[in-house]
Amino acid sequence: MAIEINRREFLKLGAAAAATAAVCPHLAGAMELKLGGNDFHQLRTFNPRKRKPYLCTLCPWFDGGFTYAEGGKIKKAEGNPNHVATRGKFCSKGLASFFSASDPDRILTPLKRVGARGAGKWQEIGWDEAIAEVAGKVAAALDGPGADTVCLNEGAFKRGAMSRFMDTIGSSSVLYSRLPSIGNAAKQEAQRQMLGVDFALPDLEHTSYLLNFGANIFETAPPLAQRLSDAVVENRMKMVTFDVRMSNTAGRSDEWIPVFPGSDGIVALSMANVIMQKGLADEEFIDNWTNYSSSDLAEHLAQFSPQMAEEASGVKAETIERIAVEFASARPATVFSHNGVSFHRGGRDAEMACILLAVVTGNIDNRGGYCLPRHFDIGAPQPAPESVAKGVRLNHAFPFEVKIGTREVKVLFNHMSNPAYSSPAASMWREVLKDERLIPFLVEFGPFMSETADLADLILPDVVAVEREDLASSPTALLPWASMSKPFIKPPGEAQDVRTTLQKIVAVIDADGSRKMKQYWDFASPAEWVKREVEATPELKDGYKKLKSKGVYPNYGKIDSTGRKILSKGSPVVAPYRTFEKSGFPTPSGKIEIAAGGEKTVVLPSWSGHPRLSTIKPGEFVLSTYKVAYQSLSRTSNLKYLAELWHANPLWINKEVAHELGIADGALVRVTSDVGYLVTRAWLTNGIHPQVVGISTSVGRTAYGRVARADADERFPFAREELEDQDVEHNLWWQDSGTNPNDIIPIAIDPSSGIQAWNDTVVTVTPAVLGDEYGQIQVDNSKHLAIYKELQDQV
Amino acid sequence: MEESVVISNAFHHVAWGTPISIYFWLVGASAGSFVISSFGWVFGIKRYKPLALVASIQAIVMLLIVPILLIWDLGQPWRFFYLMLPAFWHNTAPMAWGALLILSYPVSMFIYTYFVIKNNQRWAKVLGIIAIILALSTHWYTGVVMELNPGRYMNHTALAPLLFLTGAFISGIGLLILVLWIMNMFVAPEKRIEWKLIEEMAQYMMIGIVFDMFLLFLEFMQTFYGAESTFIGHEIVLMELFRFPYLWLETVIGLVIPLLILVSPLKRFRWGVVTASFLVAVGVYGMRIWWVMGGQYMQSFY
Amino acid sequence: MSETSSGKNSIHPIHPHRRTYGLQTPATKGVPGTKRYAMAIDLRKCIGCMSCVVACKSEFGVPLGVWRTWVKVADKGKYPTTRRVFMPRLCNHCDNPICVRNCPTQATYKHKDGFVLQRYNRCIGCRTCVVACPYNARHLVPEKRTDMNLPTLVVDKCTFCIHRVKKGLVPSCVQACVGGARIFGDLNDPDSEVAKLVAKEPVTVLKPELGTSPSVFYVGADWEIMDEPQSYKNRTAQIRAEFNDFKRNHPGDAFADVVEGESTMYWVGKNMGDFLASIPHKASGVIGNLKRLIFG
Ligand SMILES: Nc1nc2c(c(=O)[nH]1)N[C@H]1C(S)=C(S)[C@@H](COP(=O)(O)OP(=O)(O)OC[C@H]3O[C@@H](n4cnc5c(=O)[nH]c(N)nc54)[C@H](O)[C@@H]3O)O[C@H]1N2
Ligand SMILES: Nc1nc2c(c(=O)[nH]1)N[C@H]1C(S)=C(S)[C@@H](COP(=O)(O)OP(=O)(O)OC[C@H]3O[C@@H](n4cnc5c(=O)[nH]c(N)nc54)[C@H](O)[C@@H]3O)O[C@H]1N2
Ligand code: SF4
Ligand code: SF4
Ligand code: SF4
Ligand code: SF4
Ligand code: SF4
Ligand SMILES: [Mo]
Repeated sequence: MAIEINRREFLKLGAAAAATAAVCPHLAGAMELKLGGNDFHQLRTFNPRKRKPYLCTLCPWFDGGFTYAEGGKIKKAEGNPNHVATRGKFCSKGLASFFSASDPDRILTPLKRVGARGAGKWQEIGWDEAIAEVAGKVAAALDGPGADTVCLNEGAFKRGAMSRFMDTIGSSSVLYSRLPSIGNAAKQEAQRQMLGVDFALPDLEHTSYLLNFGANIFETAPPLAQRLSDAVVENRMKMVTFDVRMSNTAGRSDEWIPVFPGSDGIVALSMANVIMQKGLADEEFIDNWTNYSSSDLAEHLAQFSPQMAEEASGVKAETIERIAVEFASARPATVFSHNGVSFHRGGRDAEMACILLAVVTGNIDNRGGYCLPRHFDIGAPQPAPESVAKGVRLNHAFPFEVKIGTREVKVLFNHMSNPAYSSPAASMWREVLKDERLIPFLVEFGPFMSETADLADLILPDVVAVEREDLASSPTALLPWASMSKPFIKPPGEAQDVRTTLQKIVAVIDADGSRKMKQYWDFASPAEWVKREVEATPELKDGYKKLKSKGVYPNYGKIDSTGRKILSKGSPVVAPYRTFEKSGFPTPSGKIEIAAGGEKTVVLPSWSGHPRLSTIKPGEFVLSTYKVAYQSLSRTSNLKYLAELWHANPLWINKEVAHELGIADGALVRVTSDVGYLVTRAWLTNGIHPQVVGISTSVGRTAYGRVARADADERFPFAREELEDQDVEHNLWWQDSGTNPNDIIPIAIDPSSGIQAWNDTVVTVTPAVLGDEYGQIQVDNSKHLAIYKELQDQV
Repeated sequence: MEESVVISNAFHHVAWGTPISIYFWLVGASAGSFVISSFGWVFGIKRYKPLALVASIQAIVMLLIVPILLIWDLGQPWRFFYLMLPAFWHNTAPMAWGALLILSYPVSMFIYTYFVIKNNQRWAKVLGIIAIILALSTHWYTGVVMELNPGRYMNHTALAPLLFLTGAFISGIGLLILVLWIMNMFVAPEKRIEWKLIEEMAQYMMIGIVFDMFLLFLEFMQTFYGAESTFIGHEIVLMELFRFPYLWLETVIGLVIPLLILVSPLKRFRWGVVTASFLVAVGVYGMRIWWVMGGQYMQSFY
Repeated sequence: MSETSSGKNSIHPIHPHRRTYGLQTPATKGVPGTKRYAMAIDLRKCIGCMSCVVACKSEFGVPLGVWRTWVKVADKGKYPTTRRVFMPRLCNHCDNPICVRNCPTQATYKHKDGFVLQRYNRCIGCRTCVVACPYNARHLVPEKRTDMNLPTLVVDKCTFCIHRVKKGLVPSCVQACVGGARIFGDLNDPDSEVAKLVAKEPVTVLKPELGTSPSVFYVGADWEIMDEPQSYKNRTAQIRAEFNDFKRNHPGDAFADVVEGESTMYWVGKNMGDFLASIPHKASGVIGNLKRLIFG
């Protein structure tokens, strides 16, 4: 749903705006060193290294960069300096991502299970045998119980070959562990309803005030983070963060406001109320560009008083008022919100409330405001099969549906997702995946032995990101871009691109062509697939060559010596703003839809507390889980430099509260939810709300390999001698590898968006009892099931 | 009150550990016993002449272990001779001087011992003077090596060489007394060293102990009274992690108890003197431990 | 010995034909006609992303457990007025470096443009310089590393990425810095960004009292995180536990482990054991090296 933007227009506008802009002061003077784009051997020879475009697929930001190789080996990855969004910067994960190519624990030949599921006994088999087996099972399902019994659990950020395969065989059973796009389901839902777009981009580079609700920008959104960090110094921007704990973002904000979980919605609404009441709102904008009048809106918002917000959130009414006034008086100002707000029941409504703040102050798609996303929709190679699965279905309910028999499964494919670790009720997933009666055939398409792959019947090794031909676009800059990945190296062993694997499977299923499937899989190589994607994307039509050589298209210009501005002919390239003035908003009314629904049943932004959270007793806590800067759920687990930085996830607990409970720093504690408990260590901190405890995700591995499990001796039976890393073998120094919180997090679904309400889990924290061991997890899956059934009854 | 916690897990290694601390101890004890050896031949205190051979052999043996220890502790042991290559020589590095000292001191000691055996007073005296200067320098330099690291707060004190020398003196004597006591049990009665002489040495040792305690007190004053860096070093590193070597081993076992023995009537018993000597020798090792590792330990988190 | 530019532990080829003798080239800060490369770290912009750390580690294949650059993190204040501060750290490329003064073989030396560098083929691994450096900038490379063609068992440290700078590129960590906090350039060039920043903003250096004259400048540094004793004092239990793991499991430290909560003497004994056990191992190393020396 990207806005249609013509590149010409962009460049023209940019040049015009630049003519008035002052020439960047850093341009004159010193011979500065170049910011990147080349690489040299580090010792003696200083030989230059070869370079190819690379696209990091570890997170949905899809940053474009380069890989450098020497002697047939990739030596380094880094951001592309002339990329409008990346500006040469990769985060730590992206920088380390190329190491997965030489991960000695990766899977390099098709593996077939021998022995019981999950017993870890495997046999290497040939591709032909593996493909014949999969094709046979799929064909049997197609001829028997129907295409829908072939299911796909998909975790890729881009809709790609796997869903095309499902469309080819006509199965609608596609489940996603994450959105096949940027953002999360609740935010997307809120954006769509109000602005008609999937995502929004705060123009952090130019803003003077950021109101941030539950987004850990510095750790999870590097392309935004680099702009935010510039604004802090260049614009003397003020930054206020509402978060339940002190993330890096909160800790570096001018103000961190600890907020009671799930109460951001009411805080935002009351702020909007204050802004309207004090006459600080941009009434003209509201009247012209929304489907609700400013006077009506003021009236509607009047019910959300700062006092009411104080009661729910614990944030003082004066603070709320003060920040609301500051925010509304700052021009330009912007707001951002993410999982902290969305991952609750009512997440979508809370997101809408946050967006409303940008709307009432008129900070929509203006310089320094809350901008509409600009990116290209990458087309599917033509001819493409008709899409069978409509919309996006998140996968949380899947194991329960299978367990209680509402969903029949003959074959389950898993791709770029790791539900046995990263989904709620992960222990339930494992129970179901282990059960051969429920899931007769489980195929993993992936390069790593994940917790899920560990339970598969067949593992078909995929290539890793640096070995993949790829194309993507993501709304991370105010000028749209697309990036390409051109691999240097052939994957080691017999690993093969999933597109090739699927092509071969289709060729067997439709051997005689009677099923009319082969036509959709008629491409010579993954490189050609990408070429056809470019052809199917109108904006990129004449960009294939540039993409291949420069890695990014369009090329708006070159980066300046400060690394902050992209210059074209010596002047900074500036993005166009207020694009809606020309074409309106892509909503049914063409305006921002504050009021949803028909004339009669108007639904306005509102808030209702979560009954369980608002009634928690002393001694109970809300468990908050979060991501850290140097790990990406399961994709970075076995990368040594990242694991060295982050391998343990002790329980964050407020210092004073812990003292009251008699919990000392470092003491073993039991964290008990409705379904079971885990044992971990307490980390006493001043950086968390007293009624919240926090456990990070991404560690606590039972699979993946030596680094992930912090056990250098635990060798994978098929580990490749040529990929062995002596460094890991001899120098791995940490022992603590954390605990996974997801087993004790029961399913909880926000009805309006379908998103998992990750942060609604109520737990108790007690000192560990005799016999408890660090890392121990004890869960009763029948309780998980009971909670699911209860949830269903409510719907 | 403001609170602050450091939460990064990038740690640093302690570069010098046990081998270095043992080496410091050995060099010291060697120098100490050599001083006694020189009493007779260099300073002309005749009654010490019978001791000289034993003492210098002891000094030589201890010093022979040193290069082995040091060389094996190098990252690149086979490059140890780089220290002596003129093209590599670096006159501002205490270590470079130390290498020369460690080599030349045993050589001079060998020759001195040869003349002692040959009963050549003239040359024994000349070599003895050279050797004693080298002995003292060798141990002085170990103090300097630690002292000239302004970043290691706890070692960066001008007292360091003196502390080392005093420690050397007392541990050398202590060890020598032990050796003589054992030797006396096995040799013919006429060859035994007179106990009176040993008692006299114990008196020197006592003086050394008192002086060492005085230095330690000065050091304590400086760390305790002085800047935050040294104060925390003392409070937390020495009194917590290194409490055993610092407080118990060095101060109590190595100084206080021997001193009490030596000032009390216990000194009249042979076992009293022997025990005191043993405790002193061991106690000085305690100092070498905290001195080498304690100062670096604080930096592990920096 | 003439310097060569081949062989495993050869000289960093700054001036392959010129001998710098390891003595300190005169301080160049502010001396006209000379270059003085320096880094300014604007802590207002540091977001603690550790990109610099990973970039540096990847650039040089820095083994686990040792660092050319690292980022210290501290939480300050009482709930709810808590803040987090970061401080990236690396070699200061001191204008008056103690490490150079203290190196007995001139293996570490100062380059005329301000870099403090290592000649790996001279380094005997005595670690005097490691003890001498007040900033923990140095480490002994462990015996095993990913790329065994790179030096091992010698001391290494941040090189200010001279291999990139000489080719007209900023250092790797600067290239990667997401926050844009690290700024690198010639301090002696008044027009350079780094010189301007140092001139314009109040900057601090670490431990100025030691007279090392560091060339890494910080804007907006927090005193507690800058302070060595504070870092020791204010550790959480988790960090202590991790440090113990670090000490127990890292071979680089075999002779110097002292683990909190266990007696020092126990570790001293254990270290001696480790030391003795390593002797045959090292001997074979020596023999291997001799073989390589003789037979090529
Ligand atoms: N390093 C890294 N970056 C990533 C990813 C990764 O795995 N690692 N994954 C990518 C993906 S898939 C996503 S979805 C994004 C997610 O990006 P974010 O949404 O930024 O990340 P989260 O850690 O899920 O949650 C953000 C914050 O919400 C806080 N929080 C929890 N409950 C509440 C609440 O009730 N109110 C408020 N105000 N805050 C609350 C948490 O403490 C946390 O700091 O990141 C992307 N980027
Ligand atoms: N407690 C808690 N849990 C959470 C969250 C939270 O905040 N708290 N966040 C949630 C969010 S926002 C998300 S998006 C989900 C993400 O959860 P998932 O979508 O399940 O993603 P990952 O766990 O990262 O698993 C990715 C899988 O892809 C594999 N893989 C990596 N690279 C490749 C490749 O190149 N090719 C192939 N074929 N496979 C590859 C990896 O080995 C891994 O098995 O997690 C959710 N889980
Ligand atoms: S933010 Fe990091 S992990 Fe995500 S795409 Fe960019 S470089 Fe890759
Ligand atoms: S920081 Fe340390 S290693 Fe670097 S130059 Fe200064 S003293 Fe030497
Ligand atoms: S370890 Fe190497 S660089 Fe350091 S002082 Fe010794 S010889 Fe010099
Ligand atoms: S300048 Fe180079 S060597 Fe030094 S820390 Fe940065 S990347 Fe590492
Ligand atoms: S890369 Fe830059 S912003 Fe990130 S931690 Fe390092 S210095 Fe700070
Ligand atoms: Mo996500």
